[in-house]
Amino acid sequence: MLLSKKTMMGVGSAGLIAALAMHSGIAMAQDAQMRGNIRVVIGSTSTGGDTYQNASIVVDRLAEHLGLNMKVDAVGASSAFRTLDRDSRGNTLMIFHDQSYLGHLYGVQGYDDIFEKYTIGPTIAINPGNAYLVAKDSPYETLDDIIEAVGNGETVRVAIQPGGVSEIGFSALKNAIAIEHPGQEDNLVAVNTGSQSDKNQQLFDGQADVINGSVQANEQYTRLPEDDQKAMRFVWLTARQGTIEQALEEGLGQTTREQLLEYVEPNVDVTMGEDENFTFDKEFFFLYNKEMDQGIVDQIDEALAAIYDEGSIQEAQLNAFFIPDFNPSEEASEYLQEKMTRYEEIISNIN
Amino acid sequence: MEFLSVLDFTFFLLVGFGTLVGIIFGAIPGMTATMAVAVCLPLTYALGLNHGLALLLGLYVGGISGGMVPAVLLNIPGTPSSITTTFDGYPMARKGEGEKALRICVIASVIGGLISAAVLFLFAPLLADFSIKFSYVEKFLIILLALSVIASLSNSMLIGIFSGVIGVWLSLIGDYSISDGGNGHTRLMFDFMEPYLFEGFSLLPVLIGIFGISTILLEAEKGVKRDVAGQRIKIGKEGGFSLSIFKGSLTNLTRSSFIGTFVGMLPGVGGSAASVLAYTQEKNLARNSSQMGKGAPQGLIASESANNALTGGALIPLLSLGIPGDATTAVLIGAFTLQGIQVGPLFIPENHETWYVMMTALVLANFVMFFLMFFAIKYIAKVVMVPKHILYPIIVMMCVVGAYAINYGIMFDVWTLLIFGVLGYLIQKIGLEIAPLIIGFILGSQAEVYFVKSLESFGTYSVFFTKSPIAMVLWGLIAASVVFAIIMGIRSRARQKMELSQASGPHTVSGKHHGSNND
Repeated sequence: MLLSKKTMMGVGSAGLIAALAMHSGIAMAQDAQMRGNIRVVIGSTSTGGDTYQNASIVVDRLAEHLGLNMKVDAVGASSAFRTLDRDSRGNTLMIFHDQSYLGHLYGVQGYDDIFEKYTIGPTIAINPGNAYLVAKDSPYETLDDIIEAVGNGETVRVAIQPGGVSEIGFSALKNAIAIEHPGQEDNLVAVNTGSQSDKNQQLFDGQADVINGSVQANEQYTRLPEDDQKAMRFVWLTARQGTIEQALEEGLGQTTREQLLEYVEPNVDVTMGEDENFTFDKEFFFLYNKEMDQGIVDQIDEALAAIYDEGSIQEAQLNAFFIPDFNPSEEASEYLQEKMTRYEEIISNIN
Repeated sequence: MEFLSVLDFTFFLLVGFGTLVGIIFGAIPGMTATMAVAVCLPLTYALGLNHGLALLLGLYVGGISGGMVPAVLLNIPGTPSSITTTFDGYPMARKGEGEKALRICVIASVIGGLISAAVLFLFAPLLADFSIKFSYVEKFLIILLALSVIASLSNSMLIGIFSGVIGVWLSLIGDYSISDGGNGHTRLMFDFMEPYLFEGFSLLPVLIGIFGISTILLEAEKGVKRDVAGQRIKIGKEGGFSLSIFKGSLTNLTRSSFIGTFVGMLPGVGGSAASVLAYTQEKNLARNSSQMGKGAPQGLIASESANNALTGGALIPLLSLGIPGDATTAVLIGAFTLQGIQVGPLFIPENHETWYVMMTALVLANFVMFFLMFFAIKYIAKVVMVPKHILYPIIVMMCVVGAYAINYGIMFDVWTLLIFGVLGYLIQKIGLEIAPLIIGFILGSQAEVYFVKSLESFGTYSVFFTKSPIAMVLWGLIAASVVFAIIMGIRSRARQKMELSQASGPHTVSGKHHGSNND
């Protein structure tokens, strides 16, 4: 059988093209990489808050390491989720914190189950500053005083922003009162407010006895003289003792790490029953579109592993009063899911 | 005076550059001072705190001032706080007095900016202590006072109030945000609208749609004809500007500057309330305010001195409480946190150098703004000489780009622009009024939050009257504003009647009052 030269050449080139195409297809599936401009949306609209600050520290280094153009956009939770939903190519990533699943647990509209709807990326840092404060001239010296007072039938009002990180400490406190003083927990009343400014104002006005705040936003207020209407006092930091211990010795402002440790467990007890204490570390992590290629997930994991190995990012985070906390995607997802289950219990206990 | 060593050539260059870029941002419809600061925020990493602040404060002052340009020349408020500038600025531009109007605005702006900077420098901690006396109740009453001006801004009080109520209603569409302490649930919409309207309509696309696009639609309706506006424009000496315009306006200038500073220092009250309040106080208190809304310099002076005074005012709570006074300072605070510097009640005593650097940059930015704009106005004012068939498509394009960019690329914001452009056109066709509607839209959601929060905190309606002496004073002002509006309404009706009876010939009889151009 004789085949013409032309036919042979045709078949040959078709085969070559098919082989090349197949090879490149396999290569693409294995090595999908980020390319072009990368937008990192965050779940907060504030550029002065901890989410923006954290995202900036990480994204700047990631962009440099990968040689890509990356930009952080403070679009807020609802817009960020929607933007992420639209882009599976890996050109939109999201950074947010525990609010992303707490919002869902508290039933806030616009918050879905992130573990079902998105791919969880690596954790990057902890903000150990979540705090509860009272006015400096408050009769409550410690959190124990507050628990006792509520247990004795006194109404204590706590200013929080509902539906997330700001509320979880309040829920835990209410749960602890329900355990220690059954039936009295309703004397702990949530005053739903918005921004930190609103919470502070509630304290100045005497409309709240306790407020949720943070070491970063309220530390200067704790150093004002007692006769100043604005003066406050920390009574509780929700972070784990081990987390605060990792902060720089000088702490923040003029409040040292040693002083901050006075307000965390075991000095402050908020029981969850069965000898377990409630703690809450506000953790920041990446979220990806579920359809995004695994190659990109791995690429970011590897890049961040290299950045954290190099070590200078930790210094920047610690200087900004954040605790470095890198865990690759898979570990992060497992860990955060377990964390959510723990808090789910508290929330269902008090409802 | 250690801080003097920081003031190098780069510092001055950055203030100048920031102010120039800010003016350009402010002058482009849809771009704002807030956006300018947000875009340049990451640069502060590289520049360091002092140089970074020089740039950002330049952008802030420039951005707020730049808003006057499209407000006067095109009837599009470049920034939300320049709405009231359109009321008198655009009628003047239509009379060919755009350059004169802009010069008045620039002088009022620089005086407002400098007065507020002085107040910030001398009294910041003291005023911060005063500002915390304003709880939800007092803030609600301030918003109510600003809303009460709807009555006196309207040609017909009833139509004005009705338009204002529609504005408030539109502002309530969306969720009652948990970041305001609400329940996070959406209302006033169908389920299918949720993906688009979860956070309600964005302010800026609404603003440029209802002012800009509707103006263009109205002009387009007239068709393309030989444009005479260019020939009527009065440039240079012919422009009729002289400092004597400010004669007798000292009270207006000072009062408006202080109103701007004061509103600026109340977190959460918002910049637009400042110029609205200053404008109406002038309308209520001036000996002769009959020309306001028809192209009166006093309206421009009130509006622009107040909105530039916001800059110093909004920095008061930022630097004395760690709480931003407006949207732009909320972004500005990022410059501090990115550098690891806490802002709070001890910021000024603990960071003397940065404090002096900021004051220098703020004052300098005001002067740079003045020189850049005062001498460039001659050329800027010629924008109106561009034939409309070329100018309007460019404006529409800028509006679309601005609307798309304002929330970092949301296409629905462009639809909002179109919806409100058409709505603005229809509103004017059926005789409703745009100014009260937009004021209702801007202030409505804040009024709701503060009203609900007041009730939640105090549990009784009587608290609105009895909360504090400040609340009582505010009620006095609200009552005065309403009474004044009624008297003005009665007088204007009497005047109309008189004019009608004096008029000869049937062609002058018209049931509608089209006198003012505050659309």
